[in-house]
Amino acid sequence: MIPALEREDLKVIGFNLCKFGNIVGFLLLVPIIVAVIYKEFDIIPHFLIASSITFILCNVGIHFLQTKKEMELKHALCFAALVWIFSMLLAALPLWSTGSVNSYLDANFDAMSGFTTTGLTLVPDIDHLPYSVNFYRHFLQFVGGIGIIVVSLTILARSEISSVLAFRGEARDMGIRPNVVRTSRVILGIAITFMVVGAVLFTIAGIKEGADVGTSIFDGLNYSMSAYGTGGFTPHSQSVLFYHSALYEIIAVIIILIGAFNFSFHFAVLGGRRREIFKNTEIRTIFITLIISTLIIAGLLLLSGIYSSPDVLFRKAFFQAASAHTATGFGTVYPAQISAVWPGAVLFMMSLIMILGTCANSTGGGIKAIRVAVIGKSFIKEIKKALSPNSAVVTAKFHHIDDVPLTDTIARGAMLIALGYVLLLIAGTTITMLHGYSMPDSMYETASAVGNVGLSSGITTPAMHGLLKATYIFLLLAGRLEITAVLVLMGFAILGLRRGIKK
Amino acid sequence: MIRKACFFAVILVLLMIPPVSAESGKELVENSRHFDNNMVTFRGEVVGILMRGDYAWVNVLDNEVAIGVWCRANDAKGVSFVGDYTHIGDTVEVVGIFHFACLEHGGDLDIHAENFTVLVSGGAVERTPNLLAVFLSAVLVALAIFTVFWLRRLRKERGEIVPWPMSWT
Repeated sequence: MIPALEREDLKVIGFNLCKFGNIVGFLLLVPIIVAVIYKEFDIIPHFLIASSITFILCNVGIHFLQTKKEMELKHALCFAALVWIFSMLLAALPLWSTGSVNSYLDANFDAMSGFTTTGLTLVPDIDHLPYSVNFYRHFLQFVGGIGIIVVSLTILARSEISSVLAFRGEARDMGIRPNVVRTSRVILGIAITFMVVGAVLFTIAGIKEGADVGTSIFDGLNYSMSAYGTGGFTPHSQSVLFYHSALYEIIAVIIILIGAFNFSFHFAVLGGRRREIFKNTEIRTIFITLIISTLIIAGLLLLSGIYSSPDVLFRKAFFQAASAHTATGFGTVYPAQISAVWPGAVLFMMSLIMILGTCANSTGGGIKAIRVAVIGKSFIKEIKKALSPNSAVVTAKFHHIDDVPLTDTIARGAMLIALGYVLLLIAGTTITMLHGYSMPDSMYETASAVGNVGLSSGITTPAMHGLLKATYIFLLLAGRLEITAVLVLMGFAILGLRRGIKK
Repeated sequence: MIRKACFFAVILVLLMIPPVSAESGKELVENSRHFDNNMVTFRGEVVGILMRGDYAWVNVLDNEVAIGVWCRANDAKGVSFVGDYTHIGDTVEVVGIFHFACLEHGGDLDIHAENFTVLVSGGAVERTPNLLAVFLSAVLVALAIFTVFWLRRLRKERGEIVPWPMSWT
């Protein structure tokens, strides 16, 4: 029987949340540097207000919720889910107070979309946003891509037990370094390195393609943060189309693919294990599914006769497929075109790859390539078992840094998570359809939200119904945390309501 | 008297003539196949310029949708302001061929301008800080600094805080 909740349980979660909140307070100060550079002195007070409120709330919380009790798994999972909600509520403040969005709900939507690296946005006029606010949106995606808890562990250096549990609660595995804090710092180091390289490449491309130097640098930094975080926010309403450039698209695809790879894989390859590129089951899976999906989408577009030239057809199909599969959300086709002109079968295919998602322990979302590989290998194992004599022992393995035997427990875990995503997709699609949208559009938009992608069929606009905005916020969070943490949080709430809280 | 009457008659006639209709950005994108390879008139605010030798891309925003306009570099050089937070971009009118998927430009949706006119010049937008926000931020910053250090001192006295360098090991 599950024991009733104790007040100490809530204190453990609350205390850790408040300690973590100080990090958000510091993050809210970073855009002030951009505001000073661009002389946006009217925006600075808004970030100061949000940061001050965060520091006051969190430090009062730390004072009154002080506890020496260590986190247990149930606390860590609730903490992991609440961290994202808590961060969203605080990070939404400057978006709302600067008037960048129409309401506080919209600000929460954009903050959650930023942290979960989704890229769906309710900002009505991106092209006239303050530079500091625009930077802030992309910065949220970069921080969210690395993982809020990873960032906090890097800075706070909590106790090892709490750290490990919180780390896992955020749907991350271990294995880079024996110490979880050091692992977090390695992840942060890798992320900053790639982000800087991306920013330099985008800036050079921007200048080469005719933008002025200032715009190229600002855009380069923002596109790079968003691309590495597999986010999807862009500083212009036209997404990548703003640059009308094949070079910009190529750089974007390279950076989003790097962002979509597992941090452990990066660490192994950077540490000299180059063979991992060809041997890693997850990397092989993502390339195979990306090639297959590009060919299918290109084939369907060819049959529909929309694009007359093969190179145009392949360029559009590959960019959209790569953006969807890596859970990024950059687009070179307008949402209204996707909804009105592209065939329904393409929308279905795109929805499927958005749900499949990227690599585990990366900046992206979705079921994850390693689970897709595990499920596929499990099916093959079962078929082999059925065809073999009763006395035969059929085994299977996959390669992820080391050779890992494929056990029933691993297969069951992968299938449960995949089932969870499918259920979320069905529920989200149904709710969207109840708001009067067509099935292909609803499925596409829901898959984009659940897979933390950010491509849109045009449903996500400031005019969208409030209930649908709230539903999508939930889907973004559930998708990012791979459902488990959100379910435990709901269980925690139900337990508290049914049995009360013991002193 | 007759001259005055003629003048007002001319004004009245001019007011009665409908303006040259322009397609909105939303209309063009949503019905992109319908407008493909047709001459369109598109008006909007300039939000981006990319110079490409003798030609240029001018991104024009209308009704929440921005479309890339491929025009001569000299046309783009005539634009005084590009829209951003502190500027309203020039309002331009473009008459040109609309492409749903331009073969010349990698399949992008665009307009190849044949006639590019700056209708209204943009300008700088004065952004003054909200005094209430400035006052509130000053008060809250002071309160936050006081709260953080005062509560930290209280916890230190109670022995709840490990000295700073040790907590970083």
